[in-house]
Amino acid sequence: MGAARTCRAAVLRGVGQQWQIEELTVDPPVAGEVVVQWKVAGLCHSDEHFVTGDMVPPAEMLEAAGMPPFFPVIAGHEGSGVVVEVGPGVTSVAVGDHVSASFIPSCGRCRYCSSGRQNLCDAGAGAMQTGQISDGTVRHWLNGEPVKLMAKLGTFAEFTCVSEASVIKVDADLPLDAVALVSCGVATGWGSATKRADVRPGETVVVVGVGGIGINAVQGAAMAGAKRVIAVDPVEFKREKAMEMGATHTFASMEEAFPMVTEMTWGQMADKVIMTPGVMYGDMMQLGTALAGKGGTIVVTAVAPITQTESSVNLFEIAMYNKEIKGTIFGSLNPRSDIPNLLGLYREGQLKLDELITRRYTLDQINEGYDAMRQGQNIRGVIVYE
Amino acid sequence: MKTKAAILRARNTPWSVEEIELDPPKAGEVLVKIVASGMCHSDEHLVTGDLEGATAPLPTIGGHEGAGVVLEVGPGVFSLAPGDHVVFGFVPACGRCPSCASGHSNLCDLGAITATGLQLSDGTSRHHDKDGNDLTLAIGALGTFAHHTVVHEASCIKIEKDLPLDKACLLGCGVVTGWGSAVYAADVQPGDTVAVVGCGGIGSNAIQGAKMAGAAVIAAIDPIEFKREKAMEFGATHTHASIQDALAALPETTWSRGFDKVIMTCGVGNGDVLGEAFWLGGKRSKIVVTNIHPVGEASIAIPAVFLTVFEKQLIGSLFGSGNPRKDIPRLLELYTQGQLDLDGLVTRTYPLEGINDGYAAMNAGENIRGVLVYEHD
Repeated sequence: MGAARTCRAAVLRGVGQQWQIEELTVDPPVAGEVVVQWKVAGLCHSDEHFVTGDMVPPAEMLEAAGMPPFFPVIAGHEGSGVVVEVGPGVTSVAVGDHVSASFIPSCGRCRYCSSGRQNLCDAGAGAMQTGQISDGTVRHWLNGEPVKLMAKLGTFAEFTCVSEASVIKVDADLPLDAVALVSCGVATGWGSATKRADVRPGETVVVVGVGGIGINAVQGAAMAGAKRVIAVDPVEFKREKAMEMGATHTFASMEEAFPMVTEMTWGQMADKVIMTPGVMYGDMMQLGTALAGKGGTIVVTAVAPITQTESSVNLFEIAMYNKEIKGTIFGSLNPRSDIPNLLGLYREGQLKLDELITRRYTLDQINEGYDAMRQGQNIRGVIVYE
Repeated sequence: MKTKAAILRARNTPWSVEEIELDPPKAGEVLVKIVASGMCHSDEHLVTGDLEGATAPLPTIGGHEGAGVVLEVGPGVFSLAPGDHVVFGFVPACGRCPSCASGHSNLCDLGAITATGLQLSDGTSRHHDKDGNDLTLAIGALGTFAHHTVVHEASCIKIEKDLPLDKACLLGCGVVTGWGSAVYAADVQPGDTVAVVGCGGIGSNAIQGAKMAGAAVIAAIDPIEFKREKAMEFGATHTHASIQDALAALPETTWSRGFDKVIMTCGVGNGDVLGEAFWLGGKRSKIVVTNIHPVGEASIAIPAVFLTVFEKQLIGSLFGSGNPRKDIPRLLELYTQGQLDLDGLVTRTYPLEGINDGYAAMNAGENIRGVLVYEHD
C-alpha cells in the first residue's frame, strides 16, 4: 500500500466565500477504493450551489440531526482522470486506466442498481456527508482537519481517494475533457430529454435555461427527433449556442415564449417541457406547466434551494389536462452503461462535446471561472490540471 | 357516373383498365375524385395470390394508397364536405370501436369488413363493370387505381389544401407503415442500433423513422445496389447486400452485441428469411415483422429458445402501429418542415394506363415508389 499524498485543492469554507487553494493530504485507499489523479474538472452550477447556500442544509438542521458542520468542502463532481493506485479487492479498474467520475456512485448491487435505476444507487445516500463510501472514515485532510468531498469525488483537487463505485472506466483514446463533460452535465441534460421526458419523433419540446445542462437537453431533444426544440434563456449568447446545438426557436423568457408556442402549435402547446435553469425557483412552475399541452410532461432537472417548499403549480390544470411533473437526477440514466454509450456517440460524431467548452482554466483560476458562469459568459468552463 | 379503373380479373394476369359505373355515395359514404395513388407491393400480392383469402374476391379494383378531393357526401357525413382534400387510410378508423378507443386505430374493427371488398356501411358494391357486374375493392375497401371512388367516411383523413396530393397519397400506407415500424413498433431510441431488411417503399421510411428517432447505427439490407444507395440518402449508416453479409459485419456495426432493433420490410415475407434475420438481433432486441408473409405460410424458422434466453421479442406491426388520424397529418407536417423526405421516395409517375409498366419496374427493383397521377378535365 502506498503512502499518503499531498496535493493542491480548491476549498470552500463557508457560504458566500471564495474558493481557496489549500494543501490537501490524501490517505491511501482501503479495500474497494482507488486514488484518481484528476485531469479535467467541469465547473458545474451544482458546485456553485454550495457558494450560494442553495444546497447547504441550514446549520440548525444539521445540529438537530447531530451532524457535524457542513464546511470545509472540496467541490467538483464532474471530472475525468487516471487511476494511480487501487486498494484491495478492486477489479473494475487498474492503475493507468482512464476513468470518468460518476457523481452518483453505482454499486451495481442495490435494489435501484439492479432494476436499471443506477442514478438512484443507495450508495449515493451520504453524498453530502464527510467520510468515505466504503467505511465512513476520512481519507482527506487539510492540515489535520477532515474535509468533505462533494459527491465523495472532489474533482477540484489534484488527487482524491474515491470508491470504485464512483468511477467508470472509459476508453483511453477519448479526450479527457470530453469525458469530464459527459460525467455530469451532458448525461443529465441529454437524459432529461431522451430518457425522462422520453422525447419522440415529431414532438414539440421547450427547454427552459440553456447552460451546461439545458444545452444538452436541446441536443438530446433534437437527436430524439423533436419537430421543434424551443430554447428559453435570457442571455443572447446562450440562445445562439442553442441554435447551433439543435434548437429551432429561441426566446428570452417563458413570458415571451408562451404566446409564440401557442401560435406555432395551433394552441396544442408543447409535448414536453424541461426545466434546466441555473436555480429552480418554485414560481417558475406556473409558466413551466402552462407551456405543456394536454397530456404533457414537465421534467424538473435543475437544483432548487434545499429549503424551498412551495411552488406555483395549478393542480386543477395538472389533473384536468392529465399533465405530469417528473423529477430527474442524472437525466435518469445509468452511469455504467450511458457514460460509455454517450462517449461512443461523440466518437461517431453524433454528439457534440467539444463545442460545449467555452473556456479552460487552471485550478488557481477557479474563482474567475465561476465569475464568468455567474455572468452568463460560459456554456461550460473546465479546469484542466497541468 | 362513369369513370376509369384498373381491374384484376384473374391471378397472374395484367391489370385491365376499363370504364366502370360508379353509384352515388350512400349514408356514411363519400365520392372522391382521386388525384394520385401509390403503387404498393401489397397490390402486387393480389396479382400473385399471396393474399388469397385475406383480400376481396375477383374481379377487383386495386389500389389502397390514395389522395384526392371530396366531390359529394352521402347522408350523415359530418366530418367532410365537398372540396375537402383527403388521404385514404388503408385501414379505416371509425374512432369508436375498442381498438380505436385505446389508441390502436390501425386495428379498427371495421378493418374486418375490408377483406370482403364491399362497402363498409352496408356490405354492397358501388362499383360495377360495363356489363353491370359488381366489382370489389381489393385492399382497404378503397379502389384507388381509379379516377373516382366511393368510400366510407372512416377511411378518409382530411388534410390541408396546400399539400401536394401526389406526395400525400404515400401517407395512406407506405410512409406511415415504414416510419411507424421504426418509431412505434420497434420504439427506436437515441443511440440504438437498427437493421432494416428490405429497402423498398416501406423500408426506406423505416430508415427515415429510425434516423429521426436518433439511431446511432442504421444498417440497410437489400440485394439491389440502387436501393442501397437510396438507403444511404434516407439516413442509413451501413448497407449490406444480404443478411449473411450483415451478420458477418456485426462486430463492426454493433461491437458483436447484435442490433437493438431489426425491422423486416422485404417485398414478401418468408419464414426462412425471418429465421436468418432473427440472428441479427441482440439481447432484448425487438424484431418487427412489417412485411406481408403469404397467408398460407404456417411456420417460421426461429430457434425459439432465444426468445427466452436472450429475451428477444418478435413483434408484428400493421400500418407501423400508427393511428391514421393522428399520424397522417403529423407526418405531412414533418414533410412541410423538411424533416421527412417524400419527394425522394417517388422514383417515377405513371398515368392509370401505365399501371402494368409501373409494376414491371417495381418487380425489376427499379422503383422505390411508383405513383399513378391522374389527369382530370
